[in-house]
Amino acid sequence: MTLVRELQNVLGAGRVLADPLRTHVYGKDAGIRRGEVVAVALPATAGEVVEVVKIAARHSIPIVPRGAGTGLAGGTVPVSPSLIVSTTRMTGIEADVASRTAWVGAGVFNLDLSHHTSPYGLHFAPDPSSQAACTIGGNVANNSGGPHCLAEGTTVNHVLAVELVTAAGEILVLGGDAPDPIGLDLRGIVVGSEGTLGIVTRALVKLTPNPPAVRTLLAAYDSVEDAAATVSGIIGAGVVPAALEMMDQMMTTAVERFVGAGFPTDAAAVLLAEVTGHPAAVDAEAELVRQVAESNRATHVRVAVDEAERALLWKGRKAAFGAVAQTAPDYYLHDTVVPRTKLVEVMAKVYEIAARYDLVMMNVFHAGDGNLHPLMAFDASQEGVLERVQAAADELVTVCVEAGGSLSGEHGIGLEKRDLMPLVFTEVDLDAQARLAEAFDPDRLFNPDKVLPAGSRCFDIGRPVPEGTWI
Amino acid sequence: MTSVRSALQQRLAGHLSDPIEGAPEDAVFVAPATLEGAAEVLATASRYALPVLVWGGGTHQGIGGRVDPVLVLSTARLNAIVDWQPDDLTVVVEAGVGVADLEARLGERRQTAVLPETSGDATVGGVVAAGVSGFRRLRYGPTRDRMLEVDLITGDGRVVRGGGRVVKNVTGYDLPRLAAGSFGSLGLIGRVCLKLWPLPEARRTVTLTERRPEYGYRPLAVVEEREQVQVYLAGTLAEVEARTAELGGTYQEGWQWPDPPSGSITLSLRVAPRLLRDALDELPKSWTYQALPGVGEARVGLDKFELRTVSEIRHRVEKQGGALVLTSAPAAVYATFDPWGTPPPGMDLQRRVVARFDPDRIVNPGRLPGGL
Repeated sequence: MTLVRELQNVLGAGRVLADPLRTHVYGKDAGIRRGEVVAVALPATAGEVVEVVKIAARHSIPIVPRGAGTGLAGGTVPVSPSLIVSTTRMTGIEADVASRTAWVGAGVFNLDLSHHTSPYGLHFAPDPSSQAACTIGGNVANNSGGPHCLAEGTTVNHVLAVELVTAAGEILVLGGDAPDPIGLDLRGIVVGSEGTLGIVTRALVKLTPNPPAVRTLLAAYDSVEDAAATVSGIIGAGVVPAALEMMDQMMTTAVERFVGAGFPTDAAAVLLAEVTGHPAAVDAEAELVRQVAESNRATHVRVAVDEAERALLWKGRKAAFGAVAQTAPDYYLHDTVVPRTKLVEVMAKVYEIAARYDLVMMNVFHAGDGNLHPLMAFDASQEGVLERVQAAADELVTVCVEAGGSLSGEHGIGLEKRDLMPLVFTEVDLDAQARLAEAFDPDRLFNPDKVLPAGSRCFDIGRPVPEGTWI
Repeated sequence: MTSVRSALQQRLAGHLSDPIEGAPEDAVFVAPATLEGAAEVLATASRYALPVLVWGGGTHQGIGGRVDPVLVLSTARLNAIVDWQPDDLTVVVEAGVGVADLEARLGERRQTAVLPETSGDATVGGVVAAGVSGFRRLRYGPTRDRMLEVDLITGDGRVVRGGGRVVKNVTGYDLPRLAAGSFGSLGLIGRVCLKLWPLPEARRTVTLTERRPEYGYRPLAVVEEREQVQVYLAGTLAEVEARTAELGGTYQEGWQWPDPPSGSITLSLRVAPRLLRDALDELPKSWTYQALPGVGEARVGLDKFELRTVSEIRHRVEKQGGALVLTSAPAAVYATFDPWGTPPPGMDLQRRVVARFDPDRIVNPGRLPGGL
């Protein structure tokens, strides 16, 4: 029997897509790469996922798990012709308000979860800018972040358990709602594994109480360096705000044209800072942020007067990538992370690289985490521009790694940065990661050729091969 | 055994150390001074399949299955604070650094790694390996949430680094987090980079005489005992004063952390937070406890071990998805009572993962649930 026929027997014809016109869109994420899709399966339960996995294994066809496809690193782009398993039909939410947890289907939209729990005064803390469109399954796969991860941590800090369908077709619940589950913490490895270890069908997430008081500040600067120095100053003064975001002038100008959020477009950079907590705390913390900003030559500091103004400022921040379309038809968004004390030095190099490659470079990023998002806006129809973009991107990564940073803060490695992994890890490190993945998925059924570069598994089981040995 | 001892002592001559009080006496004691030295020790042990017990401060040796080692590997000489970046809120330390020493040092710049507050002689490596957390986990999450980078010396003597020295990172599989609570099953935790938090300006302990459904918006820590409740506050002076007034009760400046529960036997009871109070109400009246509402953990102390009573409680707790874990007891108790209880699902997978790091299964063999 053919693959498609077998899948249809389990899921029905309506939940198996094989028409190239229907499957085409599944070959791509929100980035620039595309791969070949053989068919798309849309299971609605973990049990159905098990059947799909068994069928794919029988046909020796790789599985690429997929949420909403908002990723940028090629994590859901097939490397070889693959079966896409979309998790978007798994949309159940069961909240346990007293324990402040919820079992959430992989296909639930991030923002829908917080809407669902808002009557109880609770929310899901990770808030990627794509939160209206991205799914919890995708958040788990990429260990997604967002502006409010500065104080609350990324997805892995908010996942207590995962329901995982393994390569052997088993449904495993790793973790639970009691603290410190006994045995190895495999849930922590599954989070951020980019769909390479199995398919997460549900996650038990921690819910966070909504803060009783919030103050959002906007500070404007004549130089990016002053804004970056403010970030280090705030953290150094002992305050970890709920969020600390920076945008440069190119970006605020684009955002103002797009949504009119009230950002001053004459400033070289703006900082968006938010402090949350007990009503007696937020005014004092907001005042401290203001003082640090002013002592770092902020030209203007303003506190959002009401919820409407606050919502507008955040809309401006989260709409930033949409706004870029007004500047150029294509963009390449980067994601790297540096120690936050290196922000000033690295930002100067970022602009220098942009100038050297004659590229429009716009910046909006999670400054508090040292998580940079340089964005190059361009027109791909111009000859040679893609090559320049790629060369600049590679230089950016090198600069960040040299400053003690890492390849990705929140977008993942996927295909985009897979071959850059040796910049930060030795072959012994990469081999250990490959062995770990092998323990979950010995035949590399799930999302093969992602995260780790080819040849990572370079040692025999047992002992390292002596230097100079050819295998 | 004598010939094995002398052969080993000869082979590991550069790493030998004095015996450690409380550790199995007939073992060979080593204390490598570098990660490479530790790798040499473990590679040798692996080659001859000799079981190794890793020893930090000895404070968490009561947790998990008993190990009968030929070698005891002490982290006492791996004791450097390698790199502290106060403005990045990160610190890199070797495994043998004492938790209290580290926190005292960080405190000089008003920072904390949020490690267990009353940890005695515990080392950073020991706390990470045992996956234990302090009272402040209510606000800042468990110790595993501090883990940014790890250098593991695998059972077969490789030095493997995972993670990075940045506060946000998705570059590769999260080995640092896997190391938390791994009890040596991946090898020796040689060095870690931890995420730090600022220590607040004002700190106060409020004592209440009765339990409440809530203790205000996200307090730092809450500890419920039989006779009283302590609520720990942190923040600006204005905030701490406002919260004290809201709570009522009496207060002291500073954080007065409770001593570990009294009793020759201690247990860790873990359930979903909503089930904690009912679970506590079913404990025998002679048992003492410190319960962490909102977390779902209670540290329990008792003097007389009655197998039937403890087993019944464990059975009830496990049926609700929780665990009752032995954390310290006289040796005889371990012979009749599994220190972990029923192993979790996915033990085959756990075994396969461990085999990738420690193929000869020599580091703390049998320490994890299910005899792994």
